[in-house]
Amino acid sequence: MRVIFSIAGTTIGEAVRRRILLIILFIGVLFLAIAPGLGALTARQETSILRGMTLSIILLTSAVIAIVLTMYMIPNEIERRTIYTILCKPVQRWQFYLGKYLGAVGALGLMMALMTAVLIFVFAIMQKGSAGDIPQLAQVPAMYFVQMSILAAVAMFFSTFTSPLVNFFLSGGVYLLGSVMNPFFETLSNDKDAHVVTKGFAWFANTVLPNFANYQVANPIINPTQQIDTQFGYYITTIGYGLVYIVALCVAGILIFDRREV
Amino acid sequence: MKRKSVLPFFLCILICLGLCGTLQRTAIFPNWSKTYSVKQEGIPSTLSPEYLLFAMAGFRELIAGILWVRADSFFETGNYDAVLPLIRLVTWLDPKQIDVYTIGMWHIGYNFTDEQHRSDRRYLPSAIALGKEGCRRNSETYELFFETGWVWFHKIVDDFPQAVKYWEEAGKRDDIDFTPARRNLLANAYQRNGQIQESADLYKTLLTAAEKRFKDQPEVFTNFQNRDTIEQNLDTLLVRMTQRGWFAKQGGHFEQGAYDSRPPWDVKFGARVTVERPKVLRIQGNWNVLPVGTRIRVILRDKDYPHAVPGGMDWDWKTDVSLDPPTDETFMQDDLFVRNRRFNRQIDMSRDVGMYPFKGENYVLEFFYSPRSAAHHIQDKFSWNGEGMTDANHLNTEIRPGQRVIFAQLELTRDQLLRLGDWSTEGGKTPVLELKGFVPSATNTADQDLVRIPNLRAEP
Repeated sequence: MRVIFSIAGTTIGEAVRRRILLIILFIGVLFLAIAPGLGALTARQETSILRGMTLSIILLTSAVIAIVLTMYMIPNEIERRTIYTILCKPVQRWQFYLGKYLGAVGALGLMMALMTAVLIFVFAIMQKGSAGDIPQLAQVPAMYFVQMSILAAVAMFFSTFTSPLVNFFLSGGVYLLGSVMNPFFETLSNDKDAHVVTKGFAWFANTVLPNFANYQVANPIINPTQQIDTQFGYYITTIGYGLVYIVALCVAGILIFDRREV
Repeated sequence: MKRKSVLPFFLCILICLGLCGTLQRTAIFPNWSKTYSVKQEGIPSTLSPEYLLFAMAGFRELIAGILWVRADSFFETGNYDAVLPLIRLVTWLDPKQIDVYTIGMWHIGYNFTDEQHRSDRRYLPSAIALGKEGCRRNSETYELFFETGWVWFHKIVDDFPQAVKYWEEAGKRDDIDFTPARRNLLANAYQRNGQIQESADLYKTLLTAAEKRFKDQPEVFTNFQNRDTIEQNLDTLLVRMTQRGWFAKQGGHFEQGAYDSRPPWDVKFGARVTVERPKVLRIQGNWNVLPVGTRIRVILRDKDYPHAVPGGMDWDWKTDVSLDPPTDETFMQDDLFVRNRRFNRQIDMSRDVGMYPFKGENYVLEFFYSPRSAAHHIQDKFSWNGEGMTDANHLNTEIRPGQRVIFAQLELTRDQLLRLGDWSTEGGKTPVLELKGFVPSATNTADQDLVRIPNLRAEP
């Protein structure tokens, strides 16, 4: 385990020094800070829009960071040949892979924590210091973190056999598909005339691809009239669901990486 | 050294994914759909890709807000058609924008009018469909149930069970406030729907609640006002129930007493329709009710107009919100206002080709009057279900079960309406159709502002 954590710690250090990630993070934080000024664009209750917008900024920024961070992890190590210096030591490939993944997730967590802190700061100022619904608001980025951990696992898995550019679009595509899956199923379940082939394809996609939409839990925060049932149970189930996908993707990634010529 | 086969690992992964899929379908998705879904249905084809991308990225509310501000500018410039797709887009992007549903319904139902300010009723099923969708997506609040009920009650003025249904649903929501105007409307809808006992019961319940509030906070003036308003409404209803013979009917001694609604008053309805010019009708007639306030519904529509029913339409037939009215079909509805027991109205449909395309060959012109939608002072004689009203020629007890209504139908051809062929304005005959019971009047002119002292017992 020490080996894994050692690699993870190094990976976090590398990640926070990478300029491209810092630029993405800076843009995200900047948007979060100026978001309250855009409330005038809408006739709807200003805080509803602001909540939706700021959470979306965190989501979008985190997704880009998750993909960009992980897609270079293994290809860069191979290209720079630094992988040889690691693998010639008593380090197994699976340990290297897991260390890299955990490092990526750790760095992602740090960046998301920073954005969440800015979000809380903005709302604390807007609510004039009162806690209000800030604890509920902070739950949403926590669920986004699980979502981004799955996305990082997806990108990491693809990075074992594709180039970074292909990986970017592949992971982005999987993320997009996974994000629209629940709304798509909702539409499909309301459509009584849907063809059996369409339903079959949807069932297959739903089984194979991770469903990122499960972690879109902002609705009750944006629309406070929404009644919430069994929130804790839902969170636990979806976190469990996410962990299974992460484990499955990591095992598949390790198996491929283990057999790859470096 | 031979490496282990990866097949068992991948089989394990597939089994795990299968289990995840099952968990997703049975436990996660139903819960997500109930609580976390914003209830978007389908993807509107008019949404441009960049908006769609932003919406997918989670900026739905922001994009919806920007589009709605744009819609506002269209409202101001009177570009009403441009507002329709925006309503659709905004409600898709942000189904929780209750104001957009409300304004959208009102806009579709009320704002599309012809030169004589008649609403284009072909849009109304879409307005109702939008309301239904809004209720589905915002079932936690009373607002859209109330607004949809209002369209049924105020705009459609028929099919009152729908108004009752929606307002009952609104009343079940916790967030409906105590404003008498809202709660009392349900009592009014009950009366229009012939549910008199339910109306009285609701007033009693409201009065009890209002008295409690007044007792708790006597210094709040609105509490005093609310209690008085409800008490007055209940008093008036009880007087009407007595005078119209409702209590006597329940007790089985209606025939023995002298009630306002008996004997039934003969309204002596009759009408003459003249096609004065292409698409211009002159409708004259007689209605033997002296007090001002009668409005007789007149409808001109394609004979085979989809979902038409006698004296109206099945306004609830639409389930999807398509904002294009049937452009090939004609449906005109208006009211004939009676003064001094006569009506005389010119209906000019010549200036609105889009609203009155007249593409079909055969048309029906209908006259309809239901005491359910009559003014209270007239209803005092006719009662809620028309027990106090009769007509030798046009009384109908079939088209609206449980009600006695006046209904008459005439048929016209396209040639007659457009004054073509034998009916040409240049040397042809003038189409004139008369209903049985029509009495020509020498004084039947448009200048009928003289109002005599109302008295239902006056000799005709």
